Amino acid sequence: MQVFIAQVINGLSLGSIYVLLVTGFNLLLLVAMIIHFSYPQVVVFSMYIVWLVLRATGNNLILGILAGVVSSIVINLISAPLFQKVMKKRGEVDINSTMVLSMGIGMIITDVLSHSFNQGLPIAFPDTLSSDAPILRIGLISVLTGQVWSLVVGIVAVSAFFLLLYRTRPGRAFRAIAEDPNGARLVGIPLLRTGLYSYALSGVLGGIIAVLLAMLLGSASPGLGEQVAHKVLAVSIIAGLGNLAGGLVVGLFLGILEAIVQGYISGTWSDAIAFVIMLVVILVKPKGLFGSKL
Amino acid sequence: MPLPLYYFLAITAVNVLMAWALYLPYRVGHLHFITVANMAISGYSAAWLVMSLHVPFGWALLAGFALGGIVGYIVSLFIGDAPTFAVVIVGFTFIYITRTVIENLNAVGGTMGMFGLPNIGGNPVAHRWIILAILYGLLLLVGFLIHRFDHSQLGRAASAVFVDKDLAASLGVDIRKLGMQLQTFSCTIAGGCGVLYGFIYRSFHLDFFTFALVGIAMTIIFVGGYATMWGSLILAPILYGVPLLFPPAIQSWRIVIYGGLLILVLVLKPEGFLTRRFVYSLESFLSGIRKKRKTQ
Repeated sequence: MQVFIAQVINGLSLGSIYVLLVTGFNLLLLVAMIIHFSYPQVVVFSMYIVWLVLRATGNNLILGILAGVVSSIVINLISAPLFQKVMKKRGEVDINSTMVLSMGIGMIITDVLSHSFNQGLPIAFPDTLSSDAPILRIGLISVLTGQVWSLVVGIVAVSAFFLLLYRTRPGRAFRAIAEDPNGARLVGIPLLRTGLYSYALSGVLGGIIAVLLAMLLGSASPGLGEQVAHKVLAVSIIAGLGNLAGGLVVGLFLGILEAIVQGYISGTWSDAIAFVIMLVVILVKPKGLFGSKL
Repeated sequence: MPLPLYYFLAITAVNVLMAWALYLPYRVGHLHFITVANMAISGYSAAWLVMSLHVPFGWALLAGFALGGIVGYIVSLFIGDAPTFAVVIVGFTFIYITRTVIENLNAVGGTMGMFGLPNIGGNPVAHRWIILAILYGLLLLVGFLIHRFDHSQLGRAASAVFVDKDLAASLGVDIRKLGMQLQTFSCTIAGGCGVLYGFIYRSFHLDFFTFALVGIAMTIIFVGGYATMWGSLILAPILYGVPLLFPPAIQSWRIVIYGGLLILVLVLKPEGFLTRRFVYSLESFLSGIRKKRKTQ
C-alpha cells in the first residue's frame, strides 16, 4: 500500500506537468490553429538554457529561471511567422501542415541539443534546483521538494490560466477565436495579435514547465523532448483535441498511471505498458474520450 | 563494386521505398509512421528466422513482407479513416512499443542488436549484388504499381479524399476501405524494406529505427513533393548523396540540414519541388513529342 501511495504522489506531480504541457499545446491549437507537436521539444530546449545559465552564473536560480522562460517565449515567437506563412500559403487553416512544420522544428532542436550541449550527453541539474532530499518521509513514502513544487506551481499555473481564459477580456478573445474565427474577426478581435499573445502565453507556460521538469527529473537528454511530445499529443487526442478540461483529467490520469506502472514493473517495460494503454484508447476512440473542440 | 557506392545505391533505394510507403497513405491525408515500426518488426523477425531457425533468406524476406502487411492491416481496421493526428500518434506509439519490446527480448539481441547475419550469396560480393538486385527489382515493381494507382480510378478517389473527405464520401468513395488498403500496402512495403535494410549491413540494431528515420522519410516526401511519386525518387539520392560530399563535421549536422530544408520548403513551396501540375505538363509535353514522331 505504501508503494501505491508513494507512486500516486509521484504520479500527481508528473501529471501536473503533463497538464501544463497539454494546456499550452491546446492553447496554440485553439487560438493559433496549429498542432505544435514540438512544443515539448521547445520546453526541453529551455531546460538546457536553464542548465547553461546556472552553470555560467554559479547556480543563480533567478537568472536560470528567467532565462528558461525567456528562451521559451523567444522560440515560440520566432516560429510564429513560419506557422502563419504556411497557413497563408495554403489559403485555409490546415493544421496537418503545421504539424509537419513543427516536426521539422523538433528535428532541428533535438539535433542541436545532441551536438552542441554537453557533447550530446545527458545534463544534470545542480542540487540548488533539484534536490533529492525529501521534505517528508513516512516508511516508503517520501515527498521530494521537486514534487511539491511541480504540484503547487502546476495547480497555480493552471488555475491562473483558466482564470485568464474565463474571467478576462483577452481570455474572452481567445475563446471567441477558438469558437469561431470568422465571427471573432467580425466583432473586431484582432486575430493576428491575439494569435501572437497565445504564442507568448504558451511560451511563458513552456518556461515554467522547463523549470518544473528540471526540478522533478533532475536531468535532461536530447531525446526527452520527443518522448514527452509523443505523450502530450497522445493525452491531447485521448482527451479530445482542444478540450482543456479533458486534457486536465487525462494528463493527471496518465501521470498517475505511469507512476503506478513504474512502481510495480521494471523500468523499461513500464513505458511500454503505458504506451499500450494509450494506443488501445486511441485505436478504440481516435476522436477522443471527451470530444474534440475543433 | 566499391563499398561506398554499394551503400549509396542500397540506402538510396531503401529511402525511396520508405518515402513511397509514406506517400501512399498520405494520398488520403494519413501520415503513417507505423512503417518505421514495421521495418523493425519484420526486420528483426526475419533475422531471427534466418539466424535461429536457419530459414532460407528468400522465405524470411517473404515472411517480412507478410508480417508487415498483417500488422498494417490489423491497425488499419481501427484507423482506416481516423484523422491525421490520430494516425501520427498511433505510428509514434508503435515505434516506442516496438523499440521497448525489442530492447527487452534476448532472442533478438536486446539492446546489443543482432550481428553476423549470413551472406546471402555465400560471399560478400555476391551478397551485395543480390541485395541490390532485390532492392531495385522491388523499386521497379512498387514504382510501377504506384504509377498505375495514381492514374487509376482509385488514385482519383484518393485525391478527392485528400482535398475534401465529405465531398469524396458524397461521391461514393469508401474512405475507410481506401485508407485501409493504402495503409496495408504501405506497411507491406515497409516490412520488406526492414528485412533488406538489416541485410545491407548484415546486422540489426535499434539505432537503425529511430525518429531520425521518420525525419528523413518525411523530408524526402515533403521536399520532393507529396503530390507525386517522382519527387521522392529524385530527392532521395540527392538528400542522401550530397551530404556525403561534405567534410564529416558538416555531415554530422545532416538532420539539422534536413529539418531546415523541410521548414523552408513548407514555407516557400508547400507542394514541394515536383508538383502534380509540373508532372502533368511534362507528361503532356512528352506525349506531344511522341505524337509528332508518329505523324512524321
